[in-house]
Amino acid sequence: MKIAVFVKHVPDVAEADLEVAADGRTLKGAGLPFEMNEWDRFALEEAVLIKDEVGGDLTAFLIGDEAAEESLRRCLAVGADRAVRLWDEALSGANPFEIAAAMRGAVGDDNYDLILCGAQSSDYGYGMGGPLLAEALGINSVALVNKMKVEGSKVLVTRELEGGWGEEVEVNLPAVISIQTGINEPRYVSILGIKKARKKPIDVLDGAGVDLSSEGGKLVVESLQAPPLGEGAEFLEGSPEEVAERCLALLKEAGGVL
Amino acid sequence: MPKLSDIEGVTLAERFELAACLQCGRCTGGCPMSIRSPLNSRKFLYESLIREDGEALLEREEVWDCTSCRTCSSRCPRELDPAMVMRAVRTVKIEGGRIPKTLMDAMESSLKHGNPWGRSRMKRTAWAEGITVNSIEEDAESERLWFVGCTPAYDPRAMGMAKALARIFEVAGVDYTTLGSEEVCCGSEMLRAGEEGLFEELSEVNKENFAELEFAEVVATSPHCMNTFIADYGLDIPVTHYTQLLAALAAEGKLPFGGESEEVKVAFHDPCYLGKQNSIYDAPRNVLKAVPGVELVEFARSRERSLCCEGGGGRMWIEGMGEGERNAQIRVRDAIEMGVDVIATACPFCLLTLEDAVKTTGSEGKIRIFDIAEIVVNSIDGSERSE
Ligand code: SF4
Ligand code: SF4
Repeated sequence: MKIAVFVKHVPDVAEADLEVAADGRTLKGAGLPFEMNEWDRFALEEAVLIKDEVGGDLTAFLIGDEAAEESLRRCLAVGADRAVRLWDEALSGANPFEIAAAMRGAVGDDNYDLILCGAQSSDYGYGMGGPLLAEALGINSVALVNKMKVEGSKVLVTRELEGGWGEEVEVNLPAVISIQTGINEPRYVSILGIKKARKKPIDVLDGAGVDLSSEGGKLVVESLQAPPLGEGAEFLEGSPEEVAERCLALLKEAGGVL
Repeated sequence: MPKLSDIEGVTLAERFELAACLQCGRCTGGCPMSIRSPLNSRKFLYESLIREDGEALLEREEVWDCTSCRTCSSRCPRELDPAMVMRAVRTVKIEGGRIPKTLMDAMESSLKHGNPWGRSRMKRTAWAEGITVNSIEEDAESERLWFVGCTPAYDPRAMGMAKALARIFEVAGVDYTTLGSEEVCCGSEMLRAGEEGLFEELSEVNKENFAELEFAEVVATSPHCMNTFIADYGLDIPVTHYTQLLAALAAEGKLPFGGESEEVKVAFHDPCYLGKQNSIYDAPRNVLKAVPGVELVEFARSRERSLCCEGGGGRMWIEGMGEGERNAQIRVRDAIEMGVDVIATACPFCLLTLEDAVKTTGSEGKIRIFDIAEIVVNSIDGSERSE
């Protein structure tokens, strides 16, 4: 089976003091640590598990600049046979339609049976990459999958719905499946593993052949603002015990929860 | 899945010369975990001998219970090193990627943020806000580096150690500087958890910092940082623990202790990395003895026989398989029976595991846990700063 997985290299914004850049439409990214998108870690693990189970080869794709190769190396370290990175300066600050066009371009004429990607990315969170790629390739697509099994030329998947509900879907291959967190337990990738993977080649594609002309206007970010400060917020101070006690008291006071 | 026999092309038994093992069991007899966990180093070594390549050991999850206290290795009559066998098995498990999730998070955080606690690099100096702390980021130059450490920098309870030390250095006029937010994890626990590659990455950064700034001496808050600087970094400058510096200051009369004070009965809990692994037993006791009002008493198991708190070897981030009472809980109960008011220690991990044990044994109000630096500051400033 020919399997592909798309991963993205994203900033870790936990505890970061984010600021809107001078253009008013993007965030300042300087100084933030980057890592593989959380959802993509699950997609990668699932791809490796499927490869181990049914056999075949696995190609990892990434749309990003050279610094983003770290995430591709993780893919190579856990069992991807090939890694492909596509980048063009025109893609910096691209909207999801443009990114999907680039993803389509990276896949090229290789017919993959199964393409996995994370259900969304932790930076912009559009959740559009997978479905748009499927659309561009003219193949099936299922999103928010938290359970899957390949059976011959089909995949049985469970889609996550609200309130703990799941929807079981049987889908014919080829297909793009976008993966929800929790579907598996992504393995640890050791530094030694990543170092070994540095010796493996990464195919680098430029954006030639990727037509963005009709995509740019489909979604335009007008402006970006920090959420306004709410009224009446109370910062709880003190030791963890005191904070927890105060929390409990406040919840009781507010009623409805306890 | 990688294989144990892949380590440097030799089997575990060959690499650690296990054929010399007498199967006397002294290692297991001294192991602080063997009472409450399936971890049994004698049996473990036996298994790695009788199985051709010992691969079956990879299935044994109890290898994560080892606290890397090295009691086993220090007691072996044949000078074998069971603690290193545990680490070697962990390393192979790590290469296979199937390790406890909490440990995985700590390792990834260490690489990404330079600390195992999942906190931002930017917040590394948050503990120092509003107090006097010398830092290279504020151009404070010194030949003496105070290596604060991740846990004292980030953990709300262990921060008490960092704050207390900064205050003592201030009043005693100690010449020092810190690396501020340039400091990264020493890697000790990652190495002992078996992640050798990660240790190398982290230690390279620190070694470069030390060399570039031409420090002549390093003083560490944590015995774990100190130990790895001594045992694993190969530095050519002296590395000491803060209790050694405080003991010297006390001997020179440079610690301005408060005069009047109530008598407090204090038992000192020897951290494994300070005591057993570096034979520093007297310095912490000398500091305590110098504090007015402190009556120092000894646990039945103290110094070389001290009971490990279970915080080492990466165990701060591994739940483990152990059942029954934790060693730190035993410690707290013993101290209460001895009529002790305070358990003093000198390690952030011991501090946290003992604090935890006070809560899990329901002993709040019966006993208190302080770091030695906090006890010194309490006397100097006449207030309790532990909360
Ligand atoms: S103490 Fe040494 S000789 Fe005795 S069982 Fe343990 S490893 Fe073997
Ligand atoms: S290092 Fe300590 S915990 Fe680990 S096996 Fe040896 S005695 Fe037991």
